Amino acid sequence: MNRQLAPEINLIDSITFPKVEQLKLDNGVPVYLLNEGVQDVVKIELMFKAGKWFESKNLVADFTNRMLREGTKNYSAKQIADTFDYYGANFNTSAGFETAGASLFSLTKHIDLLLPVFAEVFTESVFPENELNTILSNRKQRLSVDLKKNDFLANRDFLNALFGKNHPYGRVSEFEHFDNIFVDDLKSFYKSYYSATNLTILVAGKFPPSLVEQLNKYFGSKSLLRDVPAAPIDYAIESSAELIHHTEKSDSVQSAIIIGNMSINKTHPDFLKLSVLNTVFGGYFGSRLMSNIREEKGYTYGIYSSFASYPHAGFIEIASEVGKDVREATLKEIQREINVLRTELIDDEELQVVKNYMSGKILRSIDGPLKFSETLKGLLIYNQDVSYIDQLLKTIREVTSEELLQLAQKYFDYDKMYKVTVG
Amino acid sequence: MIKFEETVLKNGLKVIVHEDAATTMAAVNILYKVGSRDEDIQQTGFAHLFEHFMFEGSKNIPEFDTPLQNAGGENNAFTSTDITNYYDILPANNLETAFWLESDRMLSLAFDEESLNTQKNVVMEEFKEHYINQPYGDVWHKMCALAYKVHPYQWPVIGLNLEHIEQVKMQSAKDFFFKYYRPNNAVLVVGGNVKAAEVFALAEKWFGEIPSGETIIRNLPKEPIQNEERVLEVKADVPVHSIYKAYKIGTRNSADFYATDLLRDILSNGDSSRLYRQLVKEEKLFSSISAYGTDSIDEGLLLVEGKLSKDVSMDAAESAIEKVLYEMTQEKISDDELDKVKNKIEAYMVFSEVNVLNRVMNLAYFEMLGNAADVNNEAEKYRAVTAEQMQAAAAKVFRKENCNTIRYFSNN
Repeated sequence: MNRQLAPEINLIDSITFPKVEQLKLDNGVPVYLLNEGVQDVVKIELMFKAGKWFESKNLVADFTNRMLREGTKNYSAKQIADTFDYYGANFNTSAGFETAGASLFSLTKHIDLLLPVFAEVFTESVFPENELNTILSNRKQRLSVDLKKNDFLANRDFLNALFGKNHPYGRVSEFEHFDNIFVDDLKSFYKSYYSATNLTILVAGKFPPSLVEQLNKYFGSKSLLRDVPAAPIDYAIESSAELIHHTEKSDSVQSAIIIGNMSINKTHPDFLKLSVLNTVFGGYFGSRLMSNIREEKGYTYGIYSSFASYPHAGFIEIASEVGKDVREATLKEIQREINVLRTELIDDEELQVVKNYMSGKILRSIDGPLKFSETLKGLLIYNQDVSYIDQLLKTIREVTSEELLQLAQKYFDYDKMYKVTVG
Repeated sequence: MIKFEETVLKNGLKVIVHEDAATTMAAVNILYKVGSRDEDIQQTGFAHLFEHFMFEGSKNIPEFDTPLQNAGGENNAFTSTDITNYYDILPANNLETAFWLESDRMLSLAFDEESLNTQKNVVMEEFKEHYINQPYGDVWHKMCALAYKVHPYQWPVIGLNLEHIEQVKMQSAKDFFFKYYRPNNAVLVVGGNVKAAEVFALAEKWFGEIPSGETIIRNLPKEPIQNEERVLEVKADVPVHSIYKAYKIGTRNSADFYATDLLRDILSNGDSSRLYRQLVKEEKLFSSISAYGTDSIDEGLLLVEGKLSKDVSMDAAESAIEKVLYEMTQEKISDDELDKVKNKIEAYMVFSEVNVLNRVMNLAYFEMLGNAADVNNEAEKYRAVTAEQMQAAAAKVFRKENCNTIRYFSNN
């Protein structure tokens, strides 16, 4: 046996998607069903267009979402916690830039019992003041700890430099913002944005068809429809005039680095090809940034680049934490890698590895209903469906080094990037 | 229920296969029975550094990651006090690539000097990122040293200090590899869209010729029974006071493991758990609090960790934690609360089986503990725990003279 010879590789050239069933509740709420599971578990995810984009005061979207489990018309915070915990269910809320909502993970056998409580959180939340005060002061404590972390600080400075403090993507939380959050702010935001009109439901796992009737019972009523305020048209982006932002920390042994600038988002026709280019550059463990700065130089435990994509903007971000003494050397290496990307064709072998890796990653992203539902959620935010994944696979297969070189020249320019360092 | 088939190769390598036609992927997991507890006190952090070195090329293959990525796969590894675990996940029709790679690095490494030096730097940066350049980052080092006086759990997996990592020599890497990274000290588990017979044939083909090594006999120093309360006070540039209380618990295979584990869930699993409800929500003494275990094979720790609310004194915070803990020694847990934590465990287990990689990791872990089939008995063992057993476990664990406390003060 010749151990130097790699076994034959089978390429991934087509994908069979798990079945997605799409329907509407009586009031028009769209529901996506991924009923392909083996284990008797179910995840119900509610997505509202109720993210930071829609708030008129900092932290309102975040705290409205966080307070959902703190009390409803018929259940106290304690009863809600007792109910979900007793049946071994996990109830998570989260708010992002665009959407906010919650997911319920439960054994299928308990879902009928839990649905009424889960639903009431979204139809009858009451935002008790005492609970809000506790959560607010705890979150201030957490912020004070986060402000001691260089990567946290660098991320704030970076978003602030890119978008300015008046843009929802650039606004960061300060202690005084917590003091300016009141029950009425949350109630009003809740009333406006947590309505059936604004809702999409995803259900994944293994469940009986009767679950749809249950969803209809709790979320399908026309009385849950409300006019949603017109979305803010757009916020002015006030990028910093200074490209270099350094905060010195004398007691740090490492510096957090974030480099990047505004770019395109998922809706742009170049985005799919650019995701291949980014993978080559810094998007996976075998990337050029990792190979050079971690695996050859040993400057860091990890370095990554990504094209962050949100509905109203996109940006490239290169992030790492490196030894303080090699901070400048790391910046130089990043600059050098960008220049190589802009001037030299990626050789066939390297590109093929990336193509194969990305195809495998697609397979993993749809493997099993729970995993697939996360992937699908990412698409739904952009009103896309699974055909987008087919397009991605096709792009991965067909994109050439020549095209990628052009994209590198268009989208990677070190001189135009913000350089944020803390430490 | 995780179904599997198993065999042992002549060189002692245990091979387990779990077929699952519902996935298109294959997961390959190799667990080596070696962790930081096997290190010399003069060379701590070595097992973890060595895990990094395992990706730096083997006898016939210059580098591990690229061929696996080329096969559409992804891989990673972790080191604990007791084990070092490597896994690959890739499209099932490329399974043999993982066999080729994993078997070559079990056969022999490249032992390249430059790679070792680079990985020393990478690990030192990892050390800095997680244990130096973080608020409260040094607390785990301090707690290990406080709680353990002779057993190797007295140092963290990352190592005691940067110098130990910097000073590692190639000869140590070679000795370590040929002692611990032998087929008779490993468990190979393959799961996913595979057939057992084919996997057994592949195992024989790729791993069969690797020579076995010496039988590992561990003579780890046994930690003496703790008979005194230990308290360490720290002042540092952190924003809020924090407290850590670590109680000694039994070994992984001790009879009261399951009762003790459920105590932790009573304390800290979900918004209804006692610590969160009483100390965060009702008394507002803490801004966050949690309880967790070290899940080690030898005598482990059950920890309670909390960040104090503004203007709360350390004494008040500590007595409040003790009150919650001692209540469990005095009063039997109600049927409802016991049912709750058992339901939680049941759900946790079913969810942990959704992912094929988790299933193969669990099989490997239970095989290492003694028998892979035990993975399917866990739920029943938790189910069988009684309120009396939990009260007895609480009485055994939550005693002052069994406790190691770090009072971590903010000097701001």
